Amino acid sequence: MKLNRSRTLTILTYTLLILGALLSLVPFVWMISTSLKTIGEALGSSFFPSELHFENYTEAWDRANFSQYFLNSIKITAISLVGSVSISVLAAYGFARIKFPGRELIFGILLSTMMIPAMVTIIPNFLTVTWLGRIGPIKWINNWPALTVPFMGSVFNIFLLRQFFAQIPDELFDAARIDGSGHLRFLFQIVLPLSKAPLMVILVLTFIGSWNSLAWPLLVTNTPDWRPISVGMMNFVTEAGQEIHYIMAGAFITIIPILILYFFTQKQFTESIARSGLKG
Amino acid sequence: MTNRPETLKEKITKVITPRKLRFFKESLTGYLFVAPALTLIFMFGIFPVGFALYVSLHKWRILRTDFIGLDNYVRAIGNFTYVLAFFSALAAILGAVLILKKIIQQANENSQRPWVLCLSAGLYTLTIYAFLRYIWYQLPEFLDIALKLRGVEKTRELFLQFLGESFYAPAVYSSWRFFTLVLAGSVAASLAALILYRKPLRAQFQTQFTLMWIALSLGIGLFLFTYQQVFNAYLIALETNSDPGIWPQVIVVSAGIILLGLGWFAWSSAPKADQAWKFWIRILGAFIFLVGGWILVGEIPVLMATGDKDLWEGLKVTIFFSAGTVPFQLTIAMFLAILLFQKLRGSEFFRMVFFLPYVTPFIASAAIFRQIFANRDTAPVNLLIRGLGGEGLAWLQESKGVNLIIGEMIGVDLPAWAAGPSLALVVVIIHAIWTYVGYNTVIYLAGLGNIPAELNDAAEIDGASKWDVFRFITFPLLSPTTYFLSLIAVIGTFKAFATLWVFREGLALGTTDTFSVAIFLEFFDKLRYGYASAMAFVLFAIILGLTLINNRFQGSKVFFM
Repeated sequence: MKLNRSRTLTILTYTLLILGALLSLVPFVWMISTSLKTIGEALGSSFFPSELHFENYTEAWDRANFSQYFLNSIKITAISLVGSVSISVLAAYGFARIKFPGRELIFGILLSTMMIPAMVTIIPNFLTVTWLGRIGPIKWINNWPALTVPFMGSVFNIFLLRQFFAQIPDELFDAARIDGSGHLRFLFQIVLPLSKAPLMVILVLTFIGSWNSLAWPLLVTNTPDWRPISVGMMNFVTEAGQEIHYIMAGAFITIIPILILYFFTQKQFTESIARSGLKG
Repeated sequence: MTNRPETLKEKITKVITPRKLRFFKESLTGYLFVAPALTLIFMFGIFPVGFALYVSLHKWRILRTDFIGLDNYVRAIGNFTYVLAFFSALAAILGAVLILKKIIQQANENSQRPWVLCLSAGLYTLTIYAFLRYIWYQLPEFLDIALKLRGVEKTRELFLQFLGESFYAPAVYSSWRFFTLVLAGSVAASLAALILYRKPLRAQFQTQFTLMWIALSLGIGLFLFTYQQVFNAYLIALETNSDPGIWPQVIVVSAGIILLGLGWFAWSSAPKADQAWKFWIRILGAFIFLVGGWILVGEIPVLMATGDKDLWEGLKVTIFFSAGTVPFQLTIAMFLAILLFQKLRGSEFFRMVFFLPYVTPFIASAAIFRQIFANRDTAPVNLLIRGLGGEGLAWLQESKGVNLIIGEMIGVDLPAWAAGPSLALVVVIIHAIWTYVGYNTVIYLAGLGNIPAELNDAAEIDGASKWDVFRFITFPLLSPTTYFLSLIAVIGTFKAFATLWVFREGLALGTTDTFSVAIFLEFFDKLRYGYASAMAFVLFAIILGLTLINNRFQGSKVFFM
């Protein structure tokens, strides 16, 4: 009797979980199936295409000018990553392992800036960036500096790395000190090789962030030269109008890189999110 | 004491010991490590807040024109601005008094008399203000360079020339001179304090005194400024023969807020009364204060009525968005997390699937949802509804309230105020729930992992049912996670932009424009930088208020492990 009851419970659990999974996945399935239809089928009522029209993808790729936007987004992500990681690693190490007066106070101020809504800073930052473009040797608007530099000092990245660096045992540092290595050498030879997991998380988050950012790129770009994929996709959604088979193909194209990245780093990524979330 | 006079070298090594030197070197390394990040975060994260405040006090459409004080705020939230400003001033003065109290207490505890440090701290405060004054004059000169460059050929030489000139504008130059003078004074004062006041806690006392001076001067300054602003507004109202009832309104609402405060104070002090009758007197007093306070505070809507309709509409939409998203996504996530936590086979797979919507780029998933909830009869959701015998709906293009639509279906006429969120907003809400459930599930799973397994085992041995375990163990012990997630989620709905922008394009007739979207439109479409900044500060104030309330609540109600 007891066994029977726990079996029904298991079956119920699985039913609910599968229902949840279906609800999560149906939009994706519908996207893929629609992206392979003709326009008639896409606007019609059948769920699956009668024939698979893979040429929709090349068509969407060309019409949305994805080769340009992809390249832009990858360049933007790469530049932000290099800048942000090198700056955050140094700062996180400073906050985690070097004692200096005012350390906790400064870190507290940094954390509190995370609460400031982007809408407060977006207007002055736009003015600053325009102004910087005028005095500097390179232009900022419609160019990579405006899209990357303001986000290189990421408080979240510093926070994530600091949590990790603080867990590295002191004995390692003492041993390195006895061997005569200073902070920089310790950081590069011991700490960084140990920190592959948080660095991976930063990689994925920066990627997702640059795929998601819309307000700022809309402001600081007005030609396709440096526009990221988010703005490109947004424009394509409005331009393509009723040709939803192309829109779905475009959506899938936008999702693919993130999906690949996510599947490779899935376990570390979700665990880091859970950890950083709980400590937040 | 020896009689031999110390040589200079001995004196130096006495002051600069190797240990101090090492400490100095270590500190310097630390500052160097964090310097690049601090510079960037200051430039694009902290400075902009001050700059936005500056912008919000001006009439500013692409280019800065006149200084107009609080007018942008008055346009946004009506005369309520003045009440808020008065109370911020009051809070700052109160803060100064509290700091002073703390200083006195610490001075007594350590039997010190640090009052002379008050003077040097005053000088430091003056230095800060002198610097801000310099910035106040310098910033427009920098910004005007763009104006001067209009219409002429933009060469670097010309720009550098204008830049050089901007440092030597009369007001800028004199304020810079004043600043350097006061700075020198400050340095001298800090050296004097170092020599004359040789006791522990010197630095701490100086910091506290400086904070006290800043809070005090800020409070008084804001008070005077607001007084002058109200007075001007009052005069203008008199001249134009419009209703000059600003003062009465401001006073009435302020009195109401003070009464509420007194009522709360009486209420919370009641349990401390030593006799029953005193307890009841306090409770009675609290009720009278609270009722009176609420009646007077009831004026607030009148004060705000002169504010911006778009802003209130945006706030309403945001509240619907929050209230429609957060409870559902948290409940579903907690439920899924508990199911997954049983460590059945394949739970890793399910976790991955649930998390998928969260990593999907918002713009792509919003594009998919736009089509799933399209107004065609053949769109998936409409197909489903028609399959069940209903009629297709316009979804994202429907600006009518969802309650009205349901009312029509079952044949009830609802009044306009009960309309609820528009059907378009409901689609946005569904999309938000779909996106964030996975993220919340993952964090709930981690929260469940923190609950000691012995508790559950003990309860089961005592014969508790699964429901009892959930009700009395799991749910209360998850409360810190729930509070954390709800705060993040509510603030997230106030900040949300990208998805709303995609859903908005060509659809929905503005019924999905939340506060953030309204600000962006004001800035991006209407180019009113000053007004948009003022709106952004109102948003900031709301988010700060929510965080404070949450922290207060969390302190008293949540079970911490």
